[in-house]
Amino acid sequence: MNILELKNITKKFPEARDPAVYDFNLTVKRGEIVALLGESGCGKTTILRMIAGFELPTRGEIYINGEIVSGKGIFHEPQVRKVGIVFQDYALFPHKTVWENITFGLFHLSADLATNNAEKIIELSGLKGLEKRYPHQLSGGQKQRVALARAMAPEPKLILFDEPFSNIDSFRKNQMREDIRNIIKNTDATAVFVTHDTRDVLSIADKVSVIKEGKHMQTDTPDKIYNNPVNVYVANFFGKTNFIKAKISKEGFKTPLGIIKTTDQIPAHLNEVLLSIRPEEFTINPESQDCFCGNIVKERFMGDYKELTCKVENPDGEDTEIIIHVSPTLNCRQHKCYFKPNDGKINILRDE
Amino acid sequence: MPAISLQTHRQLVNPWIWLTLLSATIISLPLFVVFSNIIVPGNETWQHILKNLIPTYVLNTIYLMVGVALLTFLFGVSTAWLVSMYRFPGRKFFSWALFLPIALPAYISGFTWAGILDYTSPVYVFLRNTFGIDTGQYLFFNILSLPGAIIILSLAYYPYVYLISRAYFSRQTSSLFEVAASLGKKPFKIFYQVALPMARPAIVAGVSLALMEVLNDYGLVRYFGIDTFTTGIFTAWFAFSNPQSALKLSAYLMIFVLGLILLERFQRGQMRYDIDGSSYRPVKAVNLKNTHAVGAFVICSIPFLLGFLIPLIMLIYWGSLTYSYVVDYRFAELLANSFILAGIATAVVTVFALFIAYTVRSFPSRFVKLLSKVATLGYALPGAVVAIGILVPFIWIDGKIGTFTTTGVRIAITGTWFALVFAYLVRFMAVGYNSIDSGMEKISKSLDEASTSLGLSYFKTLRKINLPLLKGSLISAALLVFIDVLKELPLTLILRPFNFDTLAIRAFEFASDERVAEAAPAALIIVITGMIPVLLLNFLIERKN
Repeated sequence: MNILELKNITKKFPEARDPAVYDFNLTVKRGEIVALLGESGCGKTTILRMIAGFELPTRGEIYINGEIVSGKGIFHEPQVRKVGIVFQDYALFPHKTVWENITFGLFHLSADLATNNAEKIIELSGLKGLEKRYPHQLSGGQKQRVALARAMAPEPKLILFDEPFSNIDSFRKNQMREDIRNIIKNTDATAVFVTHDTRDVLSIADKVSVIKEGKHMQTDTPDKIYNNPVNVYVANFFGKTNFIKAKISKEGFKTPLGIIKTTDQIPAHLNEVLLSIRPEEFTINPESQDCFCGNIVKERFMGDYKELTCKVENPDGEDTEIIIHVSPTLNCRQHKCYFKPNDGKINILRDE
Repeated sequence: MPAISLQTHRQLVNPWIWLTLLSATIISLPLFVVFSNIIVPGNETWQHILKNLIPTYVLNTIYLMVGVALLTFLFGVSTAWLVSMYRFPGRKFFSWALFLPIALPAYISGFTWAGILDYTSPVYVFLRNTFGIDTGQYLFFNILSLPGAIIILSLAYYPYVYLISRAYFSRQTSSLFEVAASLGKKPFKIFYQVALPMARPAIVAGVSLALMEVLNDYGLVRYFGIDTFTTGIFTAWFAFSNPQSALKLSAYLMIFVLGLILLERFQRGQMRYDIDGSSYRPVKAVNLKNTHAVGAFVICSIPFLLGFLIPLIMLIYWGSLTYSYVVDYRFAELLANSFILAGIATAVVTVFALFIAYTVRSFPSRFVKLLSKVATLGYALPGAVVAIGILVPFIWIDGKIGTFTTTGVRIAITGTWFALVFAYLVRFMAVGYNSIDSGMEKISKSLDEASTSLGLSYFKTLRKINLPLLKGSLISAALLVFIDVLKELPLTLILRPFNFDTLAIRAFEFASDERVAEAAPAALIIVITGMIPVLLLNFLIERKN
């Protein structure tokens, strides 16, 4: 069942020339963790705020749990949407203790039930012993746990996160990501979170929606988005890649490097395409005849891998530079490198 | 499907917005009553006023405004510059004490000075008998004159200019001055070539506030015998019994006010004099020595002594002579009247201000913001104008629903506390609103959103989140409104119930009857109450440091 559905959502702020969000669609299934990914100012937070009911869409419809909450002349105020939200600045009530913050949204429950719920979520989020503290007496990570616990306590069907990890020390981030994912999965909640950090997305999201300047780019699993981006923007967003122009021919892709053979099905209607091959998707094999040969013009040690920049000469036109990630222990003779893209890892950018 | 946006739809079903619309409409009603009278042709009385009196009103008003603009600029900017740029003996004291004259209403300062400079004043008697100083009927000069009024009004209202320009000067970053100094500029040149042009919008804003007060003033100009629009409104209403002329005079006065506001907006224009936060370094005050230090001390002393300390001492002296027979049960009644009235008005203003500010915060749209602007317009209007704008429709309502009195006139709401409190709401809404609004701005909007997304209604969110966090702003809003009501004169004089006096009215009436010494106890209570926020603010700043 769909917990959340956005249909053709457009938001234009009165003072702005262009819409902040343009014709955006999204479907979130029960139990999924979905990330809205984009650079700051791309409209992802606006989408989140429209889901919560803090902003009104200019056009389009929002359904929560199958029920329309915004659009077609209907607007449900945030109070009745039963959506939990964890703010970027946590928004803990400064004049209330941790306990009071967490039980704040449980006023409709009986005292026993509220206490029960709160104790459960406090246990789950590792906040035991901090109940009597005030927000200013907490560390950044603790504040975030309180904010999460407060949002989760009323057991919302849907929980929203605005840049959940932006204020966390980088060495704590991994643990925090893991914790949050566990809490969400353990409570059978559904989550949408906004981020600009691809590492957040890759480690905790089930599904990612990439947004650029208010427009939808691609929605898919992190793995698919990483390996099969639809355009240059998405491909670049997730790290380095090699873009290679290619013509489709019977033997394979005809590129400035030469012919790249593939066993993949190539869509028949395409003629000229742009390929994207990630730097780690090359096999280094000095013996093979199928390999391309490049001169290593740059070599950078990156810790767990080594980045080679290889220049492949092209007698008919411009030379091509290919970035390849190899094992840090690999040594190439005479600054030459023989490489071959891995079969099945050659991605056609469909939207270019 | 109807072609209305979701935003419009949400507003249509939102009680907060309907109530704000209703409040704004009612609060701005007097304004529209007055304004609509500009185009109505006047009767014979009006023709007489137009021909014989208006030229004097216009001239006197312009003289007062020009004079006060120059003097408040001189007092306000010079002291603000000294206090924020230099270190000299008394600097710390002056930095807050220079604001104290705001606690001394112009009409009180006016009759006190008139008393001091009079032939029979204890000061003159002492100087005459001890040193043989004799300058004729008045000590030095006759203060009951146009120049005298300009001086008194400037001493009463320069603190606006002082406060705004001081805030501006001390926010300026030192590198600006260092650059100017490195280019070989002398300190005085830096002042008028760099600092002054940069602070111009702030200074003009301060001077405009002072001029608003001048246009509002009735007590002082009446006492000094200077005919202006406000005294004209009183004459038309009480002496000529001609409401229409009073309305038209009010409308003319409103044009002055609007002109002033537009001029201020225009000069501010699109200019932004903001300081880049990243490179901000507060100005380091320069030590002044010897004659320079003495000079700075003297310059700061003049407005403080003349505008506050000397009148205060005089009031205390007179009060000590007269309190034994002035302070009786009738005085207690007076005190109760004033404080209860001010208390009620404060509560009403605070509730409305809080309500509208919270609506703007929770449901921001151009429409709601416009409503909040309309509801706070009254502060720009002189009290007499507000009073006339209320009286005219109220008398009409009385005629419809009132019960007959013995004189055969229907009375229901005119001359009641209700009319007075409503008038204070119109006039002082902005005072409460601005204080509460700036307080709310400091509370992160996501706190409200966290609360509403947890299922709490907007009202409960206001009660549980905003109110506890707003405590300080609410207290300061209430305090400011309370003091404004306590010292208010023209509006209260026109709208007060029959036989109803306040401290301000009693002080003014005693003074008008040449019984200045007997006016002192009531005046002192107003002044001392007015000092509370200044002292409190200073105390809070001290504690913070």
